[in-house]
Amino acid sequence: MMHCRDRQPHTRNARAAGVLALVLLLLTLAGCAATPQLAETTERELPRKALLEDTPFHGQRDYQCGPASLAMVLNASGVPVEVDTLIPQVFLPGREGSVQPEMLGTVRRHGRIPFRIDGNLDALLTEIDAGHPVVVMQNLSLPAWPVWHYAVAIGFDLEEETLILHSGMEPERIESFKRFDATWARSDRWAFVALPPGELPATTDAQAALDAIADFERVQGAKAALPAWEALVGRHPGAAMGHFALGNARHASGDSQGAIEAFEDAVKADPELAVAWLNLGLLHRERGEGDQAREALKRAAALPGPWQEQAREALNAP
Amino acid sequence: MMKKLCRYLSPLLIAALVLGSLPVAAAPANPGSGLVTTQDALSVERAQGDRERIHEILARDDVQDQLVAQGVDPAEVEARVAALSDAEAAQMADQLEQLPAGASVVGALFAVFVILLVTDILGLTNVFPFTR
Repeated sequence: MMHCRDRQPHTRNARAAGVLALVLLLLTLAGCAATPQLAETTERELPRKALLEDTPFHGQRDYQCGPASLAMVLNASGVPVEVDTLIPQVFLPGREGSVQPEMLGTVRRHGRIPFRIDGNLDALLTEIDAGHPVVVMQNLSLPAWPVWHYAVAIGFDLEEETLILHSGMEPERIESFKRFDATWARSDRWAFVALPPGELPATTDAQAALDAIADFERVQGAKAALPAWEALVGRHPGAAMGHFALGNARHASGDSQGAIEAFEDAVKADPELAVAWLNLGLLHRERGEGDQAREALKRAAALPGPWQEQAREALNAP
Repeated sequence: MMKKLCRYLSPLLIAALVLGSLPVAAAPANPGSGLVTTQDALSVERAQGDRERIHEILARDDVQDQLVAQGVDPAEVEARVAALSDAEAAQMADQLEQLPAGASVVGALFAVFVILLVTDILGLTNVFPFTR
């Protein structure tokens, strides 16, 4: 008797502790996936609702959410490409899926610039509001048994706290911010927009845009990238490297006077940018403007750094 | 003995590798003009080491082989690799196996099914369409 009586409260305690542990576990799990909060400025500036109705939907077949998502954003940006064309360009049969670097590369092949955007809901909604459908990568499952998935975010409703996505077989699927963010967070909130050269994302900073355009230019050439550089310096007039890149693109497209002006803007924005002085000098020399060439090369040669050697050589050359 | 051999051999190998890849590294994007290209300027401004740049340049051959091994049509491989940035090519070369591949099909066991069903209902995952 003693034994039993002694034991009973003990068992009850254990059961209570177990239930408590389970509840705590579930609460922590749920806590991880609390509805993400928007910054106050985003909340104020965005409309209550938005939907990019012009973004066409392509249902995925088998594992091909990658090509389907690409087709949707490329179509929306004016490239009439079909899913069947994209499959051999981006799908990896061995992995039964598509990997992130190739998603970006395929956008470049079709003459559009892939801009990665910041991994937060504010940036995502701001891009949608700016008219840019966003490709997002989600892990629909848990990290231990991942189900990687690409979808295209095309709208939102701030009152309902829901996101609207073209996803898998379902057009305009409605997902709560909470559930979406939990699945998106598992890809480190990977997302990008695909824009024609000349258009910039609403949210990326000068540095990120610069990198994206430079990578595009390496694939598609200076002429194709020219409008993108023009747009970049229009948006960020203080970005010296942007003016420098514009100068190179103009020069490669045969506009040498325009290139001179851009290099001059570059050194005006940052007089310490030796490589811009160097190119300014080399281009002046190419045009037979000896005095100006020497002047610019002197400035480049006076700045310590990786370009000093080359500038000195150019200065001493006849 | 081995150590001695290595001491002589390593610098030679390093030199050969560096020299071999110099023409690629130094190839101007717009031949005919001596201007510094934007891409070169960016990688130098980033203070990226030479070793890293050479690695990125060599990575492309690696990626081509890997894509063929993954069943990509050899006729497509070259264009696919050419569309990658240097950093992306290096990432593919180093960790193609670990990169997540968007596919969206569950191949899971029953136990996993139950766990995922619970997490789906909790709004943590999104595997089953009917749990919304």
